[in-house]
Amino acid sequence: MSGDIRLRVKDLRVKLPETGEEILKGVSLELRAGQIFALVGESGSGKSVTSLAVMRLLPEALAITGGAVQVGEQDLFDLSESSMQNVRGRRVAMIFQNAMTALNPVQSVGQQVAETLRLHTRLRGDALRQRVVQLFAEVGIPDPEGRFSFFPHQMSGGQQQRVMIAMALACEPDILIADEPTTALDVTIQKQVLGLVRDLTVSRQLAVLLITHDMGVVRHTADEVAVMYRGEIIERAPVDDFFHSPQQAYSKRLIDALPDLSHFQSMATETPLLQLEDVKVYFPIRKGVLQRVVDYTRAVNGVSLSIGRGETYALVGESGSGKSTLGRAILNLEPLSGGRIRFQGEDIGGLARRQMLPYRKRIQVIFQNPYSSMNPRLSVGEIIAEGMVSLGLGLSLEERNERIGQLLDRVQLRREYGSRYPHEFSGGQLQRVAIARALAVDPELIICDEPTSALDVSIRAEVLDLLQELQREFGVSYLFITHDLSIVPSLAHHVGVMQAGVLVEQGSAEQILTAPTHPYTQALLASVPRVDG
Amino acid sequence: MLALDFKPVLLWSDALVFLLVIALTLFFYRLREDPQTRERWGRVFSSRLGMVTFTVIMVYVVIALLDSLHFRKALPTPEGVVTNEIFYDNKVTSVLDVLLDGMGERFERTYSAPFALKSFEKSNMKDEQGNMYRGYEDLKHAGQHLSDPQAKWANVLELSLRALAWGLLAAALVVGLQWYLLRGSVHPWYASWAVQAVVICLFFWLVYLSHYYHVLGTDQGGADVAYQSIKGVRTGVLLGTLSTLVMLPIAVSLGVMAGYFKGWVDDVVQYLYTTLSSIPGILLIAASVLLFQVYIDLNPDFFAIGMEKADARFIALCFILGLTSWSSLCRLIRAETLKISQLGYVQAAHAFGVSHARILGRHILPNVVHIILITFVLDFSSLVLAEAVLSYIGVGIDPSMGSWGNMINGARSELSREPAVWWTLSGAFFFMFVLVLAANLFSDLVRDAFDPRSAMGRSGT
Amino acid sequence: MFAYIVRRLLYAIPILIGVNLLTFTLFFVVNSPDDMAVSQLGEKYVTPEAIEAWKRKNGYDKPLFVNAEAQGVGAFTDTIFFTKSLKLFAFDFGRSESGRDITTDVSTRMWPSLAVALPSFVIGIWVNICVALMVVMFRATALDRWAVFVFVALMSISYLFYIIGGQYLVAKSWMLVPISGYDPEFQPWKFLILPVLVSVIAGIGSGARWYRTLFLEEAGQDYVRTARAKGASEISILFKHILPNALIPILTGVVVLIPTLFMGSLLIESFFGIPGLGSYMLDAIRSQDFAIVRTMVFIGSILYIIGLILTDISYTWADPRVRLS
Repeated sequence: MSGDIRLRVKDLRVKLPETGEEILKGVSLELRAGQIFALVGESGSGKSVTSLAVMRLLPEALAITGGAVQVGEQDLFDLSESSMQNVRGRRVAMIFQNAMTALNPVQSVGQQVAETLRLHTRLRGDALRQRVVQLFAEVGIPDPEGRFSFFPHQMSGGQQQRVMIAMALACEPDILIADEPTTALDVTIQKQVLGLVRDLTVSRQLAVLLITHDMGVVRHTADEVAVMYRGEIIERAPVDDFFHSPQQAYSKRLIDALPDLSHFQSMATETPLLQLEDVKVYFPIRKGVLQRVVDYTRAVNGVSLSIGRGETYALVGESGSGKSTLGRAILNLEPLSGGRIRFQGEDIGGLARRQMLPYRKRIQVIFQNPYSSMNPRLSVGEIIAEGMVSLGLGLSLEERNERIGQLLDRVQLRREYGSRYPHEFSGGQLQRVAIARALAVDPELIICDEPTSALDVSIRAEVLDLLQELQREFGVSYLFITHDLSIVPSLAHHVGVMQAGVLVEQGSAEQILTAPTHPYTQALLASVPRVDG
Repeated sequence: MLALDFKPVLLWSDALVFLLVIALTLFFYRLREDPQTRERWGRVFSSRLGMVTFTVIMVYVVIALLDSLHFRKALPTPEGVVTNEIFYDNKVTSVLDVLLDGMGERFERTYSAPFALKSFEKSNMKDEQGNMYRGYEDLKHAGQHLSDPQAKWANVLELSLRALAWGLLAAALVVGLQWYLLRGSVHPWYASWAVQAVVICLFFWLVYLSHYYHVLGTDQGGADVAYQSIKGVRTGVLLGTLSTLVMLPIAVSLGVMAGYFKGWVDDVVQYLYTTLSSIPGILLIAASVLLFQVYIDLNPDFFAIGMEKADARFIALCFILGLTSWSSLCRLIRAETLKISQLGYVQAAHAFGVSHARILGRHILPNVVHIILITFVLDFSSLVLAEAVLSYIGVGIDPSMGSWGNMINGARSELSREPAVWWTLSGAFFFMFVLVLAANLFSDLVRDAFDPRSAMGRSGT
Repeated sequence: MFAYIVRRLLYAIPILIGVNLLTFTLFFVVNSPDDMAVSQLGEKYVTPEAIEAWKRKNGYDKPLFVNAEAQGVGAFTDTIFFTKSLKLFAFDFGRSESGRDITTDVSTRMWPSLAVALPSFVIGIWVNICVALMVVMFRATALDRWAVFVFVALMSISYLFYIIGGQYLVAKSWMLVPISGYDPEFQPWKFLILPVLVSVIAGIGSGARWYRTLFLEEAGQDYVRTARAKGASEISILFKHILPNALIPILTGVVVLIPTLFMGSLLIESFFGIPGLGSYMLDAIRSQDFAIVRTMVFIGSILYIIGLILTDISYTWADPRVRLS
């Protein structure tokens, strides 16, 4: 490894004093000038705690119990709080995950960047303003002069993150800590922001600690990688070595979660189950004294597609593209503004509550957030039973309990979990319960609205495998709504790409992923991380 | 013929109180089934403060309940009259009065200071020769047993020690029994036991000493201040709970419906609570109470005994307070329901075709219970405080019914006397302050345990 | 913005009508003018003639909603509802039951009320914010926990005690300022010190505790961590980042009260003998003068609605994210 060591973490230990639990069990790493060191791990592995401990910004509930953080010869843990304030922002800077909340909502972005400069330099007045504008230009914010007085909410997520980067780099620090800087961003934006970090690392000879859970990000940006698991670094290697010959089974599992673009699902039957014809969902925009409808937000603007029996249709798009709204419209949870929804040839669009009831049994749904999709006051058994009861499957109490047991078995949970409550389960387990709940009424189509995006990568694969097994077993069709192209190849037969309420391209999974024709699909695909990047 | 020597009297407010107790018991019993709720209550009671404040509140509640068991004593048949009919006293007594052992029946002529032997004001008296002179009259019920007034404080000490000995004995019995029953519990019960012991000792001391002295003096009408203060407990506790109880069904049903159905239902509910909250609350309450008072005055034959009249006014006050104060809770519940309606589990229920009534009952209501609970505890203390203000304005509790508000109202001018009469005010102040403080501290703990937002604030800093 | 305000003002009309109908029902339907006459006259003097005379004198001798005897529009205008209730919309408050002109009374008594309420309000908020900021600076220490306990204890004391205690200590024992009274010509500030002081102190418990929670909520936000990562000191974070953000929820709670300051405070004014609207209302309630109560209800609800509109406007000023439409 070349480059001077800029920051050295030695045997860092952090404890939760209240319970005595060890969060970090002796973490050591070195950051070198001009290089990006990626710290990878799933939620709860302690990677963010490491970054906050280095900055001495841990929440009050956590305590550093041992180790050292050296910048040059100086151990940061020996400094007084006021000298530490001189280090933060000047020697070591940090950017955070969600720029929207990490920026002060009531202060202009220019002022927020200027604050860092005002704290650590003598720049004032016009010179200060000029420097901020210069920084904005450097991180690629268009019209930097004009954006100075913008408030965070007036900017897009990508631009907010650029402001964060400008703020961090304002005083030319040697070391940059980036805590999941792109997680909240859409893939296309994500790629640009990471490219910016990469470029700045080289041009400014920064030593960067990049915290992420995304192996694709690591593959494209980092020089060295360390895998963190339950408060320990279990493997550490240069990036190329790591991806070609991972040493630990856990690391392998993380790498395997990356998409493999050589295997696709073979075509399923072509009997159409669900057909959408020019479906539109508009939301009115009201203005003026009388609140007249002046215009519409065209959330879904004329979408036609067809899903066959036993087939998976992946609907891909970035946030705000209207894909979830479309899912809700199929479920009749959102009124249609136009078009037809046919289920086995019958028009079910805009049916009244009662007429819809027979179809409720046949079309089911799994939501993104497993925690909010379970009523915390009902037991898992009651949650699964709800559909059976309200759709009148005519089962006796014993039959119902037997069926709940079978379903729990089927989704690989223990039968006795039926009497437990949601807060006792992990996200992955809850998503299995959600699958069992949907299966309980023997549906023919399940709408999966980002069912794995709230889950850690290693669990994600298990849930996807389960969904595929169930498809083979029961012949159920899926409309799989996702922003993540990487899970598509192993899962979907058909893919549709949605942008701004319109389906810009659709076709077989192989066709879309290997030979996309629409520029937007190409851009999406280009930003998908691959092992052989 | 078997002759009861008392006749139970059931006032409307008594009936409501016991109904309330039953309802609350059932409510909490049902809540026990839910492990999350149990865990949260566990958090409240795992702190010493939670135990202490809860015990204090329970002491007040027990006093209020004892004071809600009313009856009329049978009068002894006058001599020389032969009749099988039993005549009952027109005065309504409660079990609490019996326990206080005649404390409320020892009247003086007017003010007297705590532990005083003589009246506070001079009055015309006759000496042995029958000459009129002005002097401080001896009290009828204080220090009669003393041969030497100088020995008063020694005597007080002696009596106190004797009362405390009894008190400690009783406390040991009560605490010992609980200690035996709650051996395995993880909660800090000792904190509760300490409070119980103190309360029991105080009670024995007060009852015992008030046979010989007026511990907190007497008020203008010569009534024992300690007794008055204790009688105020029932009014305060009942007003705090009954008003909230009247308000809850309105606020909850309207709030939940507005948040769930949205559209025109929401518009109507919002209109209702904006209209109601735009009227200055105190004026609305005052006007309503006055109107009801006019109604009582015009229909005097509705109420058999004076106490029933006072009770009717009290219940009317509870209803008026409840009917005029539902808007803030309604607003909270509407907002929470709007939030819950967007959550996955309600959406999933829609996808299963679950009926509106079932979604409201199974998914929405149980998940707004924490707001109801927090409001219940929080409003309790503010209502107790409001009672005093309303009494001052002249639209509070009927003066014949003991209440802290009436005591304060009566004592307002006493501080400007020379020397100041401070004990009436202090008595009411002390009893009110302890209850409100305990309720406020307890509500803080309940909110910390039940409000997800405040819990987040704690771990997020 | 303009369209928004116009819409809010239009929305105020049905609310005021609602208030009007509610009070009308309370005062004239639940309680008939005859009942009022009886309670006003006193039981000794109740004769049918006396009741009729009283009703005629005070204008209650008309039908409630529709006057069948009158001609044309008179059928609707010559009624109690029109003369007593609808005329309020034209700010024609009429005469009190004791014959005084309510409009004059209100316009003269408004100023003493404001003289007490405004300083109490401004100083109160300022003191509460300062106390809360101080406590937040020491958050998660023993000092913070004790401060919260003291706040709760202060909250648990009845307002009446603050007034009585304040009068007793400051005015009677220490003889620093007059106990009560008000003289707009001769050193009015002397009479104002005590009531303002009492209402500020009485408000500290609940006010400072509330602001403390608001500050703590903001202190847990992500942008505060960002500011720390910049190297900002705790004090500058408190004033530059937490305070401006916490001002937003403070504004909602506080701005709505500004117009109602005109109404004064019932308790303070009556205890300290200040001839404002608060004591005016109290006297009206005690003498059961429903004409005044009705007027004050109407004025109160107008002020409240103005307060709501002001709150929304102040939002746009404090929070750049809010645009009214």
